[in-house]
Amino acid sequence: MKRGDFKRITPYIYEIPQAFRHDMRVPARFYADGELLAMALDDKSLDQLVNTATLPGIVKYALAMPDIHQGYGFPIGGVVATELPDGVISPGAVGYDINCGVRLLGTHIDREEIAPHLDKLASALQANCPSGVGRGGTIHLKRHELERLVEQGGDWALKNGYATRMDLERTEENGRLHGADAGKVSDRAFKRGLDQIGTLGAGNHFIEVDVVDEVFDETAAQRMGLFPGQIVVQIHCGSRGFGHQVCTDYVRRFQKVVHKYGIHLPDRELVCAPLSSPEGQDYLAAMKAAANYAFVNRQVLTHHIRRSFEETLRRKVHNHTVYQIYDIAHNMAKVEAHEVDGRTMQLLVHRKGATRAFGPGSKELPDVYRDIGQPVLVPGSMGTASWVLLGTAGSMAQSFGSTCHGAGRTMSRRKAKKMVRGHELRVELEERGIHVRAGSMAGFAEEAPQAYKDVDRVIEVVHGAGIAKKVARIVPAAVVKG
Amino acid sequence: MGFFEVIDHTADWALRVYGRSLTELLIHAAQGMNFLMATGLDAIPLTETRQFELDAYDAEGLLVEWLTELAYWAEAESLVFTEFEMTAVSPTHLSAIVRGGTAVELQKHIKAVTYHNLEIVQTDAGLAVEIVFDV
Repeated sequence: MKRGDFKRITPYIYEIPQAFRHDMRVPARFYADGELLAMALDDKSLDQLVNTATLPGIVKYALAMPDIHQGYGFPIGGVVATELPDGVISPGAVGYDINCGVRLLGTHIDREEIAPHLDKLASALQANCPSGVGRGGTIHLKRHELERLVEQGGDWALKNGYATRMDLERTEENGRLHGADAGKVSDRAFKRGLDQIGTLGAGNHFIEVDVVDEVFDETAAQRMGLFPGQIVVQIHCGSRGFGHQVCTDYVRRFQKVVHKYGIHLPDRELVCAPLSSPEGQDYLAAMKAAANYAFVNRQVLTHHIRRSFEETLRRKVHNHTVYQIYDIAHNMAKVEAHEVDGRTMQLLVHRKGATRAFGPGSKELPDVYRDIGQPVLVPGSMGTASWVLLGTAGSMAQSFGSTCHGAGRTMSRRKAKKMVRGHELRVELEERGIHVRAGSMAGFAEEAPQAYKDVDRVIEVVHGAGIAKKVARIVPAAVVKG
Repeated sequence: MGFFEVIDHTADWALRVYGRSLTELLIHAAQGMNFLMATGLDAIPLTETRQFELDAYDAEGLLVEWLTELAYWAEAESLVFTEFEMTAVSPTHLSAIVRGGTAVELQKHIKAVTYHNLEIVQTDAGLAVEIVFDV
C-alpha cells in the first residue's frame, strides 16, 4: 500500500475507500498523523486492516488505532464491529492472549517517601510475582476449582480472599463476563491453566512502579485519586496458556466451519463463524472463560503486589495500602449497543490491541467514574511514559467506544535484538534511576524502547481526534519483567 | 537451500522453512521452532520419548497441529524434542516418534502457532512455507 491510497478525512483520520479492493465490505479508517501513517506503511499492518474490512456483517468501518502494528490476521490496534445476530465472531480478531489487559493501582505515597525503599520493593515484586518462560505460580488448583474460577471470574477472587469489592467495581465488567462456560474449553487449556494463575509470563508483559509526572485533567485525576509525584503500579498481562489454548482450539475448529457457512477470507487466521451459529456461541462462551481467567490472573497479581508493599513498606511509609484505579482489557470481543447512523444497534465489537473507551454517562461504568467517562490505561514502551486517559463522547460516536492500547511496535524483535544488548539497556535504564528486574536479557532487549513508536505521539492523535482525553502522564521508577 | 531461516516480523517471530517433501518440511519446521525457543540444543539429552498421532483438515493445518503439539510440551514440561522419526505422513495425518529432554533454559515462550497467510508452496527446489508464531 502507498500514501496515495489514503484519503485524509481530518488531521487525524485517514480512510481507505471501500473501492480500494473488491472484497472490502466497508471502508477502513486509520487514526494517525502523517508520520504515523508513514511508519505503518513500512510493514503489512494496513494490508491486514484492509483484510478485516472483508469480514461478513462488519458495520461502518474497519478501524485502526495510531499504535497499529503488524500482527497475524488482524492487525494489532484493530477494531471491528459486526452486526447481530449473523455478523461473525473471529477468534483471530481477539487474539491468542484473550483479555490481555492493563490494571492501574494507586498508592498514598509519593516519590520522595518511597525512594529509600524502591530497590527492596522491586526485588519483593520480582520474588512474589512469578514471571518468565515456563514459570508456574504459587496457587495450584484442581480442575474443578479452575472450572469455577473461569465461570465466576472476579467473584471467585472475592470469595477466595484475593479481591476487595472496590477492586471488582473498578474492573471492566466487574471482572466477570457472564455466560462463560467451562464445558466449551478443552482439557488441554485446563491443563495449561492449572498452575499459571497469578503469573506474569514473558514477552511484553510487566509490572511497573510509576510516578505521576503530569496531570492534565484535575477533576478526573482527583476522582481517580491521582496527584503529581504519586507512586502508582501498572500490571500488563493476560490469560496465559489457558487463553492461548482456547484461541488455538477455535482457530483450528473454524478452519472447517468457514466452509460450512460459505465464508471466503483473504487470510486463514481470520476464520470466523456467525455469532448466532452453534460454533460462534461455543467460542464466545470459551472466550469469556479465558477472559475471566485473565481478570483473576491480574487480581491475584494485585494480591501479590499488596503483599510486596506490606513486606517492604509497612511502618516505613505513612500508608502502604494499594487501591485499584481501573482494569481494562485490550484483546476482547463483546456484545455492546452503539448508535450507528442514528440507529441503536447491537454489535459484537472485536478489539485486538485496542481498549474500550466508554464515554461519560455509560451505564457500564461504576458510579465513581460514570459522569467523567471510563479510565483508559495506555502503557508506553519499557522505560518511557504511560498514560491515563478517559473515554469520551467522541469515542462513542466515532470508534464504537474504543481507543489505542499502547505505543505500538515499529521494529521487529530480531532487529531489536541485533541493535540492543540487554545488559547495556539495563545499565542505561538504571542510570536514569529506573530499577530493573528482568529474567531474560534477550527478551529484555526485544522490548527496547527503540523498537516502539513514541507513545506521546500516539496519545496526541487519540486526544486530537477526540476518541480519548488526557488525564495524566506517568513515568517508570521500577520495572519487573519475565 | 537451507532448512529454515528466521524472517522479520514487527511484533512476533516468523520462519521460512524448506523441505523436499512434506515430511522434511515438518521436521525442519520443528527444528526452526526449537532454534527460536531454546539455546544449547545440542546439550539436550535424549531421555524422553513421545508418540504423536495428529490429524488436520489439510497440510497447512497439519503443520500447525504438529508445531502446536511440540510447543505445548515445551511450555508444560520444558521438554524440547530434537529427534523426529516420522512413521507416517499424509497431508491430513501424521504419526511420529519424537525424542528429547529437558531444556536448561527456554529463551522464548511460543504462545501459539498461527495460520497467518499460511500456505505451503511448491518451488523448483521443493516445498516452502512461512510460519508466524505468536510470542
